Amino acid sequence: MSVAATWVAWLVASMILLLSTRNPIYLALVILLLFILGARQAKAKGQQGWVSQNLRFAGTMLALSTLINALFTHTGQTELSALPKDWLLIGGPYTLESLVYGAINGLVISALYLLFNIFNLSLSIKQITRLIPRAFRPLTVMTTISLTFFPAIQDRTHQIREAQLIRGNPMKKISDWLPILMPLLVGSLEDALLLSESMTARGFHVQAGQKQNRITLIGLILAVFAIFSGWILRLFNYPEWISLLLYTLGGATIILVLAAAGRAQNVTSLHQDEWRSRDLLAFTLLVAAGLFLIYALAAELNACFSYSIYPRLGPPEVSVIGLGLSLIPGIPILFKRHD
Amino acid sequence: MKFRLQSLIVNLVVFTLGFLSLLAPFVLPQARNPGFSSTSFPITVSLIIVLCVLLTLFEVQSTGLDNKMIAFLGVLIALNAGLRFLENAIPGPAGFSPTFFLIIIVGYTLGGRMGFLMGAMTMFVSGLITGGIGPWLPGQMITAGWVGQSAGLLHAGLKRSRWQGKPAEIILLTIFSGVWGLLYGAIMNLWFWPFLGGASGQSWHQGASLAENIGRYTAYYLATSLVWDITRAIGNVLILSLMGRSVLRIFDRFEQRFSFQIQREEAK
Repeated sequence: MSVAATWVAWLVASMILLLSTRNPIYLALVILLLFILGARQAKAKGQQGWVSQNLRFAGTMLALSTLINALFTHTGQTELSALPKDWLLIGGPYTLESLVYGAINGLVISALYLLFNIFNLSLSIKQITRLIPRAFRPLTVMTTISLTFFPAIQDRTHQIREAQLIRGNPMKKISDWLPILMPLLVGSLEDALLLSESMTARGFHVQAGQKQNRITLIGLILAVFAIFSGWILRLFNYPEWISLLLYTLGGATIILVLAAAGRAQNVTSLHQDEWRSRDLLAFTLLVAAGLFLIYALAAELNACFSYSIYPRLGPPEVSVIGLGLSLIPGIPILFKRHD
Repeated sequence: MKFRLQSLIVNLVVFTLGFLSLLAPFVLPQARNPGFSSTSFPITVSLIIVLCVLLTLFEVQSTGLDNKMIAFLGVLIALNAGLRFLENAIPGPAGFSPTFFLIIIVGYTLGGRMGFLMGAMTMFVSGLITGGIGPWLPGQMITAGWVGQSAGLLHAGLKRSRWQGKPAEIILLTIFSGVWGLLYGAIMNLWFWPFLGGASGQSWHQGASLAENIGRYTAYYLATSLVWDITRAIGNVLILSLMGRSVLRIFDRFEQRFSFQIQREEAK
């Protein structure tokens, strides 16, 4: 499984799952699957210590989130200890419920972090750059220039640093950076000048101020307003369908205007992702699972995603549908990695 | 004139929606309504911020970018991403980062729009190189973009004064970079804090006063970020005060060299 679209489908489906559940059993299952998947992807990339590094992060996040919630939220019926109520912010009872709520928050944050970490691990920089919509061609060119120049700049930094060390610059204080930064900056800007001239000579030209751009911009402004309004109306408990309508309108407008603006750009795509049968199968499976997840949420099937801690802590419920859907982040484990 | 108006409208929209989304827990207590899942809060805010970033980037690329600027910023962004690696070569305390220095200088010399682009794209390219793509990236991009954009405003303000080219210019830029060192952390925490900060509808009930909410945020900020941000601010101040003048001179020289216009020859 190495096609970018498949990993995007995996990311979206897993994110919907993570955003819709607070059930600690499902969250623990998701994190376990993510660790298995991440370890496999890291091994394939030859990265050492991925599991221990991320276990440390998840542990820190869990501890921090639990501590902060317990310190500042004094709600719940199972009192563990208390500080005088007149102590600013931290005064009041410390409850088991607020501790557990904080821990669940920590689980969600850790899972989200792992999700994106694996996404970064699974796709090459080139594949991620290609995900930038075609309408942003000048910015894609800029990103490509940066990524191309980056190794050269690192090499040059290394050379200048060595030269400075030979001349007796200890490179220990911030002021010691200046003899590195100056030649690096001047050399890089000279390169930029040469590059811009050769881009012009080769016919690369950004057309500014076209009518198409103005239409795209107006479309984007309206779409952002629609999505923002949908969110605000949802916060104020307006009927959900109004928000959904606004989200759909906004999303569709963005897709349409960016597609139209993208068509106006002449771009030749070389080295396209190669779809193999297992990529197609994984993609279909992930999209189907994602759609079923959305259906389960909309139809309120007994998936036991929600888990209420307050006012008194109780055991979370578990259902077969919920357990099944929690396996979504682990789907790529079923498929062999190929490059 | 038309482009300026367009830019002004886009910036107003982005600034209003971006800040309203980030400040929702303060100005809209309903943001913590028990009926609304607090888990989706940071992601929804991130989504709106992504759209705001896209809007600004599209506006800047369609009106302010030519070949020279693409090459110029492309190379500078690579350099800035490289500076993040230089951090490892010359160890500094936690929170210290040389990244903001060039963002501020670019915004100051080339204007707010280029400053925004430099800030936002630096974070994006660094994210690509370091594997840092995630829900936190839109917040980093827009905040770093605002750092560069506000540096352009500072330049516009100083243009009319007699401080340009004098020590006062560097002193002002140094203070500006220090303030942003702290502000960056405070803004970056905003999308994340409501999520981490407590039970939905319990710790943040409808009708809670703005002062109470600010107090809670302050406590969270003091406990988790202040030391980190102070280090960043001190780092910014040190770098700008030590290198600001020399780098500004180089940028002034290259700005003149980059200021030529290539015009298409009309068919006869």
